Amino acid sequence: MIDAQNLSTMSEQELMRLEREIARRHIDKFPYFAVFWGFGNLAIWLSLWPLVFMGIIPLWLGFIISTLNVTLSYLPSHEAQHDIIAKPGTKLRWLNQLLGHLSTIPLMLPYRIAKYTHMAHHKHANHPELDPDHSTHAAGPWQAIWKTIQNRQPRAKGGFNAYGEMLTRDGRPDILLDGILFEVFFYSVLFGLAWNGFAIEAALLWWLPRHIGLTYIVFFLSWAPHHPANETGRYRNTRSFTSILGNIGSLGMQYHIVHHLHPRIPLYRTPRAYWEMKPILEARGCRVEDL
Amino acid sequence: MEKAVRTVFYFGPLLFGFGFLAPLAAQILAAFEWVPPFGLTNLQAGLIVGGTLGLIAQIRGRWV
Repeated sequence: MIDAQNLSTMSEQELMRLEREIARRHIDKFPYFAVFWGFGNLAIWLSLWPLVFMGIIPLWLGFIISTLNVTLSYLPSHEAQHDIIAKPGTKLRWLNQLLGHLSTIPLMLPYRIAKYTHMAHHKHANHPELDPDHSTHAAGPWQAIWKTIQNRQPRAKGGFNAYGEMLTRDGRPDILLDGILFEVFFYSVLFGLAWNGFAIEAALLWWLPRHIGLTYIVFFLSWAPHHPANETGRYRNTRSFTSILGNIGSLGMQYHIVHHLHPRIPLYRTPRAYWEMKPILEARGCRVEDL
Repeated sequence: MEKAVRTVFYFGPLLFGFGFLAPLAAQILAAFEWVPPFGLTNLQAGLIVGGTLGLIAQIRGRWV
């Protein structure tokens, strides 16, 4: 157990050593659940299509399940983005990449775009120009939801348009092409289904769940953990928080500060790492007063 | 090629209006057995609704 009184007298280096010691205990644990979750979630979402089209389950039920699937599709890919399943050059690297690419199919978010922009977010969190997620910044929860919807408008400055702008600025048309191909595929499927008499099914199994899922994901993964998003720096650019929906309902983001400090800690280990690390975080002046 | 892609994406709202919202509106009318006014068919009404919404979004640059 760490003595908070001793921490206040410790040097920067000693605090860092303690913090790293704790982090090391949680890194390199294989996240079985995330792998099962990513592939299982995709399998359920894909199975909804024949189940609804063959009348085995009603469309309203398909809509609810699909919305859950889309909402849950990002996090397994997020684990892969941070090489948590397997680092480059290791035996299971293929699994890391496969999970990263496949799990976000319901969300129609290409893995390479997700990874590139997410790494930039970690590097420049809360920076108005350099953080590609800074557009989610808003004064309160309702404004955050509205902002997310606004960011998805055709000529919006934020959201996926900000990702496109960043990739263009950074000279990565190869990654941008993934986004173009995904968009073309997504709308081709929607248009094809719609003009063949399945517009309501397409709307309720994919189009609307995707909008709801994106709103939920951005709220809990981007807005809530960084709010008010006005400080930069390793120990001040994110926080811990409590949600009325709990840690599961907030997609495991209550302990987001641990993720930013040590991104290779698997999601399921962040609560434990947080409680072990909390006295150090307090000594560092982190924003951990809510949890 | 790049110019063609840019043009298609530029007209995204209009394409979405005709490509998705029009048949969606027509099929919603049919599902609820609502009869469009002026003797229009469901598809004609859907094309007017979807096309109009798409055109407005195209001009404004946003749907909402």
